[in-house]
Amino acid sequence: MNWKQVYLVLKREYITRVRSKGFIWATILVPVGFVAFFAVMVFVTVWESGETFEIGVKDETGQIAEPLRGLNEERYVDYSEVSTDSLRTLVQENVITGYIIFTEENITEDKNLELIYTGSGGIQLLTSIRSDVREVIRQERLRRAEVSEEIQKIYDATIGLDSRRLTREGEETDDETFFLSIVGMILGLIIFAAIFSYGGYVTRGVIEEKTNRIIEVIASSVKPIELLTGKMAGVGALAITQFGIWMVTFFGLTAIAGPVAATLMEQQTAGMDADLEAAQADLPAFLDLPALEPSLIFYFIVFFILGYLLYSSLFAAIGSAADSDTDVQQLMLPVGSPIFIAYIIMLHTWQSPDSTLSVVSSIIPFFSPILMVTRIAITDVPFWQIWLSILLMILAFAGTMWLSAKIYKVGILSYGKTASFKDIAKWIRQ
Amino acid sequence: MKTITVSHVSKTFGKTKAVRDVSFDVEKGRIFGLLGPNGAGKTTTIRMINYIIPQDEGEIIINGEKVSPKTQKMIGYMPEERGLYKKMKVGEQLMYLAQLKGLKASDAREKIKYWLNRFNAYDWHSKTVGELSKGMSQKIQFIATIVHDPGIYIFDEPFSGLDPINSELLKEIIIELKGSGKTILFSTHRMEQVEQMCDDICLFNNGKVVLTGNLRQIKKDFGKNTVLIEFQGDGSFLDSLEEVRINNRSTNFAEIRILNGLDSQEILRRAMEHSEIHKFQLVEPSLNEIFISTVGEDNIKNQELLK
Repeated sequence: MNWKQVYLVLKREYITRVRSKGFIWATILVPVGFVAFFAVMVFVTVWESGETFEIGVKDETGQIAEPLRGLNEERYVDYSEVSTDSLRTLVQENVITGYIIFTEENITEDKNLELIYTGSGGIQLLTSIRSDVREVIRQERLRRAEVSEEIQKIYDATIGLDSRRLTREGEETDDETFFLSIVGMILGLIIFAAIFSYGGYVTRGVIEEKTNRIIEVIASSVKPIELLTGKMAGVGALAITQFGIWMVTFFGLTAIAGPVAATLMEQQTAGMDADLEAAQADLPAFLDLPALEPSLIFYFIVFFILGYLLYSSLFAAIGSAADSDTDVQQLMLPVGSPIFIAYIIMLHTWQSPDSTLSVVSSIIPFFSPILMVTRIAITDVPFWQIWLSILLMILAFAGTMWLSAKIYKVGILSYGKTASFKDIAKWIRQ
Repeated sequence: MKTITVSHVSKTFGKTKAVRDVSFDVEKGRIFGLLGPNGAGKTTTIRMINYIIPQDEGEIIINGEKVSPKTQKMIGYMPEERGLYKKMKVGEQLMYLAQLKGLKASDAREKIKYWLNRFNAYDWHSKTVGELSKGMSQKIQFIATIVHDPGIYIFDEPFSGLDPINSELLKEIIIELKGSGKTILFSTHRMEQVEQMCDDICLFNNGKVVLTGNLRQIKKDFGKNTVLIEFQGDGSFLDSLEEVRINNRSTNFAEIRILNGLDSQEILRRAMEHSEIHKFQLVEPSLNEIFISTVGEDNIKNQELLK
């Protein structure tokens, strides 16, 4: 391998891409998109539906309707005077969403209540009604049992769980599991997206050279393996540049965000009451997120690069076997599936990073880039697991690169039709 | 002096024997034509000479060295399937290709400037190839092939897809390169181009070399046994001739190859009985005729492509 040729290819790949409008826009828009994506996600999760569903309460005990209305006045309406038939008609005509009949047995015995309703409202409504009726019936039972106030308090108590981490060195720290889980999920997601998009660059780059028919001119000056290596390295350098810009921007912004916010508030509160000032002094604390560990950033970069290399070598092979952009899809499936599977496992891993499934799959080379990073972010992953997965990824990369070089060498000079998997197998054996 | 020596080279793709035991020599400072129908193995042979694909058997020597990345730099190659990066600027593109051929940036810059000026194309330096017309980008393709000033030039089907102006330009370039002592090898399935330009030829059919040598000598060896006849009137007498092969027949013209000692005067006599003769000439056979009689009419693949 002549490294001078590799360097020339790398340089061209890098420079033509880094100067393109597409790259500049992506560098600006992707973080914006990412923030927007999370904003939408948060918005959807906390969204309270504004609609009210009216539930008729037919209370034969005379003790339930009142406290129930106390819980949600808009939802629960006292229909105790109305006959069951009329209630049914009201539901049928959609005047009310549903009704519940409370009898003595519901309080004295453990008899289930029955909601007769139109079916609208979904799980959210059912869950909320269930907890409301449980609450009022429990209260009513407690009242009838004439328990003392103290015991009532016991029932009302909700005890929280605070957690603190004790490290091997005997240091006790604030537990940030919740925050770190989100970080782990985001990092996994970033690697998932990055492998696909930079891998896509490689595939399209290979196909472009084939469809432009420049490939044979290039092949008369450069060995296929040099071209392949240069191409992957060029796009890799592009990825590092783009991530570098994002990281610097991100850390820069978080570093100045606190002080800037504090200054802004000082100015605003300058003429205000001392009380208010005191209250707002707490606000910057909200911006003061726990710091990310440098080791996490280090591993993120390592796994990102290894994951990129592993997959982009395969993406290049796919590109060389395809005859046009539109034909890539059919070949993409076997290469793309492991990333999707890793992504699906990640949805489990970020909640349960130490389960057997998480541990084993995070060591499988094709899953490691996503899963190991997620685990490292959240939990204390033993060193041997990290380095075993790194070692296995390097080995796997050597394998995919060898395979890809064989396919690429033949693929780039085959015009006319997209190769089938049978053809590709033949190329590998050649 | 031999510039390219191909000896006993074979190449198989799966079950297809693309090239079978091929041998020929290309002499320095001459134009060498590789001809034969499409699918005869010309492109595969050329790719092996360019070290793009390895041969299965045999040996290829260029300027005394086995083919390698080093010999690649001695060659300027324009493939049949040609193209450029559409989104790259002309100047940068030529610089990239020249550097891949081992040129230093400063030398490359000078050569690119020279050639762009030579083709009145310096204004295109900062345009992307996508902005150029087809003819213009063909010129850039020529420059890309010759910019590193190699000793050997290989053109695979160079005239296919070229517009007439660029066809002429390329012919001029080839003649000029020969004049400055360069060696040129080109392949084609169009025989008349070979007759106009080549010193030496190699005929391919079905992956094998069927004939190779100096074009003049080959023609001489075939003898003056071909009749060119121009006439006015009834041409049906041509059908009654035996032991001949008629090529290039039209309403008032025919090229007749005499196969077995039939007297050319007999043809003239019969022709005069039926029509008025404007021209009667005894010549060496055309290359097309040589090809057909060497291979045998039935053994030619892709016959319709032979013209």
